Amino acid sequence: MYAIEVEKLRKEFKSYSSRSGLAGAFRDLFTRNYKIIRAVDDISFTVKQGEMVGYIGENGAGKSTTIKMLTGILTPTSGRVVVNGMNPHKERERFVQTIGVVFGQRSQLWWDIAVQESFRLLKKVYRVSDQDYNEHMDHVIETLDIGPLLDKPVRKLSLGQRMRCELAAALIHNPPLLFLDEPTIGLDVLVKLKIRQFLKEINEKYNTTILLTTHDMTDIEALCERVIMLDEGKIIYDGSLQRLKQNWGEGKQIHFQFRDIVSKEELMLLVDATWEQGEDRYSWIAHVRATDMAHVIGKVVSSYELKDIHIREVSTEEIIRNIYEEGIHHG
Amino acid sequence: MFYISIFFQYMSQYVKTKLQYRTDLLVEFLSDLMFQGVNLIFILVVFGHTQLLNGWTRDEIIFIYGFFLVPFALFAAFFNIWDFNERYIVRGEMDRVLTRPVHSLFQIVLERMELESLLGGITGLIVMGYAASRLHLSFHWYDVILFVLFVLGGTFVYAGIFISLASISFWSDARSSIMPMMYNIGNYGRYPVDIYNRVIRYVLTWILPFAFVGVYPSAYFLRKTEWYTYSFLTPVMGIVCFTLSVLLWNAGVKRYRGAGN
Repeated sequence: MYAIEVEKLRKEFKSYSSRSGLAGAFRDLFTRNYKIIRAVDDISFTVKQGEMVGYIGENGAGKSTTIKMLTGILTPTSGRVVVNGMNPHKERERFVQTIGVVFGQRSQLWWDIAVQESFRLLKKVYRVSDQDYNEHMDHVIETLDIGPLLDKPVRKLSLGQRMRCELAAALIHNPPLLFLDEPTIGLDVLVKLKIRQFLKEINEKYNTTILLTTHDMTDIEALCERVIMLDEGKIIYDGSLQRLKQNWGEGKQIHFQFRDIVSKEELMLLVDATWEQGEDRYSWIAHVRATDMAHVIGKVVSSYELKDIHIREVSTEEIIRNIYEEGIHHG
Repeated sequence: MFYISIFFQYMSQYVKTKLQYRTDLLVEFLSDLMFQGVNLIFILVVFGHTQLLNGWTRDEIIFIYGFFLVPFALFAAFFNIWDFNERYIVRGEMDRVLTRPVHSLFQIVLERMELESLLGGITGLIVMGYAASRLHLSFHWYDVILFVLFVLGGTFVYAGIFISLASISFWSDARSSIMPMMYNIGNYGRYPVDIYNRVIRYVLTWILPFAFVGVYPSAYFLRKTEWYTYSFLTPVMGIVCFTLSVLLWNAGVKRYRGAGN
């Protein structure tokens, strides 16, 4: 059974562009220039129970809009959405009982009251029995290491502390499906690691499906086998992260730090590769295929005196950036 | 049942929050008390100058005012969602509300409640008591039940109008400045409607039925038999207004566009 089924899902927003100047403002009073913007454009995909999927895209690509339709917050313009066997916006109150949501930029907890009071209130809202709560939440609280924070009001927590509490709050009813919208935004490395560790654990323990949007590719690398990439409301890639890397990230970058100033022309004559200036006039970066690497290094080392050299793989971050700059079909 | 238990959960949470800021609570309580005291004096002074208004005596007008304060206090305690647009739509808090398995309007009512407004209701009862004793009004046992029904009716009329106004935010992005104006119009319901021109009377009865919050229900206790039909319509108007507003709200939620991230 699929946890999420989406078919030709579309969301259009009507927005009006205002004319310039005072005269324009007066004209706007009477007739407005409406423009239909398609935030999500006929997308289709399915997610199996227990999968962890990274949903990525630039700002404004339609990630949040999709998540909001999947969680029943927004009503789709057209298309079919079935999540946990239900239509999210039609049976909203019954449906949200089966999902957990974390919006990284928005708090789910009550600002003024202690964290445990928020938990208690949510426990009532989700009608969780004392037994289930204790059994499940003791573990969650321990793993996320938030025990000492429980009696503090949310407004006194740091971002990292708050985020861990948000995550715990989203899991109070132990939902089979978890939506995370930028859960690691603005967090330090240690907290990120802890959160990733935790997500992996609940995925293994409860077979929880997780759909995650993030700008941090290391999140995706650590957690998701599969990525769905969105651009201007359309899915441009849906498949394994591995394949994406193979198709796009074959190349290596070699950073050379020369002892003397070297010009691009000289280097081009020496080896046929894509050369790019580094931080100063002494440093150059060669983009080469993995198989050419030894050849290029050999040539450069034999012709110039070097201060430093290091080799880097193309990061997922760069792969994604390249795809957005050049389009998916290039590779 | 579930909704009642949730209601008390939120209420106890509300009280706890208030108790966290002890000095704040004390200051707030004293200032509320003072405000109500000033209000009381103000009413007596202002109405001291009017003796007779289109057949209504000074004490009768004071009684209507006192009655009005009771449903108004209930409204202010639970349905005062005038900042809904800014808080929930512009800031996107509505997203959070919509991911919880409780009706969205109910959640917002619970989150926005201000129980200290109930103090105004006590002022209202005192004012009514004062006016009633001067008018030598006598009450039957069932008047208590009718009083509760009329007060609830009035509260729901008020709530219905303000929920409808809040629902408009789902359709239009513009921050409406209608709310303060509505508070003003609401005040007209405190005075006998027959002092107004026919059009205004019609509006206050059928379009923005604020008259059902003050003058119509009070007319029953003042034994003004010519207004009885309207008096007994109060609970009906309350149910109609409130139902319509909830339907409008539900339609609005479907149109909710969310705030950008």
